[in-house]
Amino acid sequence: MNPALPIAEIWVYLAGSPLFALLLTLAAYEIGVTIYERANRNPFANPVAIAVVIVAISISLIDMPYAKYFEGAQFIHFLLGTATVALAVPIYQCWDSLRGRVLPLTVSLLCGGAVSMLSAVGVARLLGADISIQKAMMIKSVTAPIAMGVAERVAASPTLTAVFAVVTGVIGAIVARYVLDALRIQAWWQRGFAIGVAAHGIGTSRAMSIHPEAGAFAGLAMGMHGVAGAVLIPLVADWIV
Amino acid sequence: MIRGLIILLCFQGAGEIVSRLFSLPVPGPVIGLVLLFVFLIQRGKVDAPIDTVASALVKNLGLLFVPAAVGVVLFLPQLKANFWAISIALTVSVTATIAVSAAILRFWPAKAQAKKTEP
Repeated sequence: MNPALPIAEIWVYLAGSPLFALLLTLAAYEIGVTIYERANRNPFANPVAIAVVIVAISISLIDMPYAKYFEGAQFIHFLLGTATVALAVPIYQCWDSLRGRVLPLTVSLLCGGAVSMLSAVGVARLLGADISIQKAMMIKSVTAPIAMGVAERVAASPTLTAVFAVVTGVIGAIVARYVLDALRIQAWWQRGFAIGVAAHGIGTSRAMSIHPEAGAFAGLAMGMHGVAGAVLIPLVADWIV
Repeated sequence: MIRGLIILLCFQGAGEIVSRLFSLPVPGPVIGLVLLFVFLIQRGKVDAPIDTVASALVKNLGLLFVPAAVGVVLFLPQLKANFWAISIALTVSVTATIAVSAAILRFWPAKAQAKKTEP
């Protein structure tokens, strides 16, 4: 047998292939889901947040730059687009309960979207955040890929916008239950839709894990907010910030 | 399984083409969602191969956000400077948004919802 390869050489090989980033992402998410299940799906044990923390700590421990990690993990990232398309299926399966509700859902979306923008910008301004933060805040309830596109059109930072979108998704997934319970909202479609309006994909993922109807309406809200946000936000942006 | 994946990727691709062709502000996958939804309405059912792949993707939606979300960590130093303003603004805004959206649906005049039985 050859003398054992120096560990550094094996490491160089592994770091260059997508294997490590894929494995790390999948394992971190699996750990996140396991903790989430063990915690009886307590919203504070958000699996996405747990996975993000594990991955972030791991890559910083081994000094792997984020760009390098993303290069490997982009296969998972790519499927986000495919999964967005796939949301048509649960939405279609709720078509019967959705059909008579187009008007309330649209009004709820538009008001929710307006509240989302005005409250975030207003509070941030009140607390002295600078203008670049206020601009990015305006778009944060729209799902991240759309938010980044909108950010470019209204001269906000796309990266900062994506950061706020992700953090918003996690906060929404955590607080939704308490807000909805406090308001005594019981119907799954109402609960799901509200989460989707406020917390897009990460909120939808949370809703899916609780109830299929909530998940479908969250996905619907996320899609509607994405389309409405892309069209309307650039029109009103100048008046808000 | 593979057939379902092919169908979904075709809709995603069609969405990308429509989005670019008409330079729409809405990205390809969202248009793909709309196209697939219209297709399902026309067809009147979800074929098993589509259902299999779509359920698998949708059930693990959270996983797919991880690679992009890790990018947040890069901004921690910049975010720290405005930590309180950002966290308070986002929390207040998310809470208000959920409350307003849900309250509108709940208190919408009952006529529109009367024919539905709530779970």
